[in-house]
Amino acid sequence: MDRRNVPLGPAYRLVWIVGIIGAIFLVVAPLFLLFKYSVSDIGSINTGGAPIPLWPHEPTFRNFLYLFSDGQFYSVLLNSLIIATMTVCFSMLIGIPASYVLARYEVPGRKFVLIGLISVRLFPDIASVIPVAELFIRFNAHNTYWGVIMAHSLLALPYVIFIGTSAFEPIPKDLEQQAIVMGANRFQVFSKVLVPLAIPGLIAAAIYTFLLSWDEFIFAYFLLGLGKISTLTLYLKQKLAFAPPQNLLAAISVCLSFPVILFSLLLQRYMTAGVTSGAVK
Amino acid sequence: MAEVILKDIRKSFGENKVIESLSLSIGSGEFVTLLGPSGCGKTTLLRMIAGLEPIDHGELFIGGKKYNSISPQHRPIAMVFQSYALFPHLSVRSNILFGMKIKKVPASTMEEKLKWVLPMLRLEGLEKRLPKELSGGQRQRVALARALVLDPEVLLLDEPLSNLDAALREAAMEELKRVHHQVGKTIVYVTHNQVEAMSMSERIVLLNDGRLEQFDRPRVVYDSPSSIFTAQFIGSPAMNMLNGQVVMKGEAVGVDTSLGFLTLDRERESKARALLSREVVAGVRPQNISFVEHSISRRYSDTCLELTVDLVESLGDRSLIIARGGKGTILRFLITREADIVPNQKVAVFVDGRKIHLFDTQSQTNLLP
Repeated sequence: MDRRNVPLGPAYRLVWIVGIIGAIFLVVAPLFLLFKYSVSDIGSINTGGAPIPLWPHEPTFRNFLYLFSDGQFYSVLLNSLIIATMTVCFSMLIGIPASYVLARYEVPGRKFVLIGLISVRLFPDIASVIPVAELFIRFNAHNTYWGVIMAHSLLALPYVIFIGTSAFEPIPKDLEQQAIVMGANRFQVFSKVLVPLAIPGLIAAAIYTFLLSWDEFIFAYFLLGLGKISTLTLYLKQKLAFAPPQNLLAAISVCLSFPVILFSLLLQRYMTAGVTSGAVK
Repeated sequence: MAEVILKDIRKSFGENKVIESLSLSIGSGEFVTLLGPSGCGKTTLLRMIAGLEPIDHGELFIGGKKYNSISPQHRPIAMVFQSYALFPHLSVRSNILFGMKIKKVPASTMEEKLKWVLPMLRLEGLEKRLPKELSGGQRQRVALARALVLDPEVLLLDEPLSNLDAALREAAMEELKRVHHQVGKTIVYVTHNQVEAMSMSERIVLLNDGRLEQFDRPRVVYDSPSSIFTAQFIGSPAMNMLNGQVVMKGEAVGVDTSLGFLTLDRERESKARALLSREVVAGVRPQNISFVEHSISRRYSDTCLELTVDLVESLGDRSLIIARGGKGTILRFLITREADIVPNQKVAVFVDGRKIHLFDTQSQTNLLP
C-alpha cells in the first residue's frame, strides 16, 4: 500500500506543519536578511542606536546600480563565468570516463580509489591549499586561468566521480551487451546508451561543479591573490577590505548567490530518479 | 539462414567447468531449444554463440565460417535477452531502428522493415511509446521485432518468455512459432521450461551440468529418454523411478522392485534377457499407470499393483494420486477426475510394461532405448 495515502492524525499533522515552517524559516531567514540589506538605504542600517527595521524605510536599488556601473564588476563576473564553465568542462571530461570505468570494470583497488578520492575532500581547504598553491607556483600556474581551473577541478572531481559512478552503476549491463550484439562499438555504446541514461546524474554533477567553482574563495585567493585576474568572490573580499557600507556588500552577495539559488532549483529536477525504469522486466 | 556447428566446445569460469566438451550441429532454419535446469550452462552456451563470452576451447561455425575470434558486433546474429534490454530512453520505433542505424541501413529500407515487422508482432500504434509505457507482452514483442529487423542468420533467444504470466506465455509461444514459420530463421532458444521446449522446438538439446544429455526431437526425448536425468526432467508429473533387478518370473521377463514384479512387454523380451540379474532403475511415467477401474482390457504386460492412497492432487481435468506400496515405496499416477478416490483408500493399478524404461544404476543411461 502507498504510505502517502495513510491520513495523519491531527496531532501529527500539527507537528509536521510546525516542523516544516520552522525548516523553511531557517533556510529563508538569512536569504531575506541578505536581500533586505542589499535594498536598504543607509539610514536603515546606521540607525544611531534605534533598532534596525525589518524592512528598510526607503527601499532602493542604488547599491545594484552602483555595482552595475563599476567596470571591474563585469570583468570579475566574466572571469568567474569563464573559470566555472571551464572547470565544468575539464572535470566532466576527466570525471565521466573515470566514473564509467569505476562503475563498470573490475578496477584493482576500486574501493581504495573511491575512498582516496573522497579523502581529498576530508581535509579543510585551508589546510590543503598551501601545498597545492606551492606546487602550482612551481609550475607557474599561479595568476593564470588554467591554474584556477585545475585547482577547482581538483576540488570538483571527487564529487563528479562519485555522482557519475552512481549514475552509471544502476544501468543494466544487458543494455550494453544488447547494443554490442546489435553492432555498436564501445564508443557508440557509451554515447548512445550509457550517457543518455546517466544524463540526470551527469547534469547534477555539472551544476554542482559550476557552483563549487563559482563560489570558491580559498584556492582562488591563494592562486590569484589580488593580481590581474580576479573572481567575484575575490572582488567581494577586496571590497570588504575597504569597509564599504553593508548594503553594497549585500548587493554583491546577492549577485554571487543568484546562480546558486537558480541552479539549486534546477538541480532538484535532475535529482529525481526513475529514468531507467522500464529497461528490464 | 545458416547452420550452427559447435565442435568440442569447452568453457570454465576459474575452476568451475561450465561446459565440458560439447558438440552440436544445428540445421539451417531449425528451431532448437537449449533446455536444462538453472546452472546447466545453457545461457553460457548461447552467449558464446553471440560472442559475449569467449570460447575456451573448440570451434564455432555459423554458415560454414569460423566465428571463434570475431567480436559480437560482426557476427550474423541477433539476440533477445531474458530482460528484453529495451533502451528505456528510446521509443519503440527508435528501439527497433537502433541496430539498423548503427549498421547504416538506408532510411527507405528501415521504413520497409518497420512496415513489415510492426504488423507481424502487433505493435502498430505503439511506435511512439517508451518501454515503461508497455506491458510485459508488448516489451517482449518489441525485443523480438528489434532482433528480426536486423535480418540475422541466427536468432538467439534467452528465456524470452520467463517474465510473462502463464496465459501470455502461451500466446507468445504460438506467436514465436508463427514468426519462425514466416521468417524461417535458425533459432536457438534457451529455456528451463520443458513445456516451452516440447511445444515449440524441432529439436531439444538437453543439458545437465555442462554435458549434453540428449539432442533429439521432442517426441523422441519424451518416448525414449537417454538417461535418468532426461527421463525425470521431461514430462510432468515427473517419472516414477524404482530400484530393482531384472529377473525371470515363470516365462515372463521383468523387474523385481520393492512394489513387486513388473512385467516387461514381449517385444523387448529378448533384449531384456541379456540384462538378467542386472541392478537397474525402472522408470514409469504417471501417465502409463492406469487405475484398474478405467482399464477395459488387461494386456499381457500389464502388472497389477495394490496400493494405499496417500494424497490426491487435483490438476483440473485429472487428478494426481500419490500412493504407496507394501514396503512404503511411493508411486504417482493419474486418474480421470470422475474416479472418486480418497486418502487411505486401497486401490489396484496396472503398470503398462511397454512403457517401462530401464536405466543402468551406475551410468544412469537407458538400457533399452
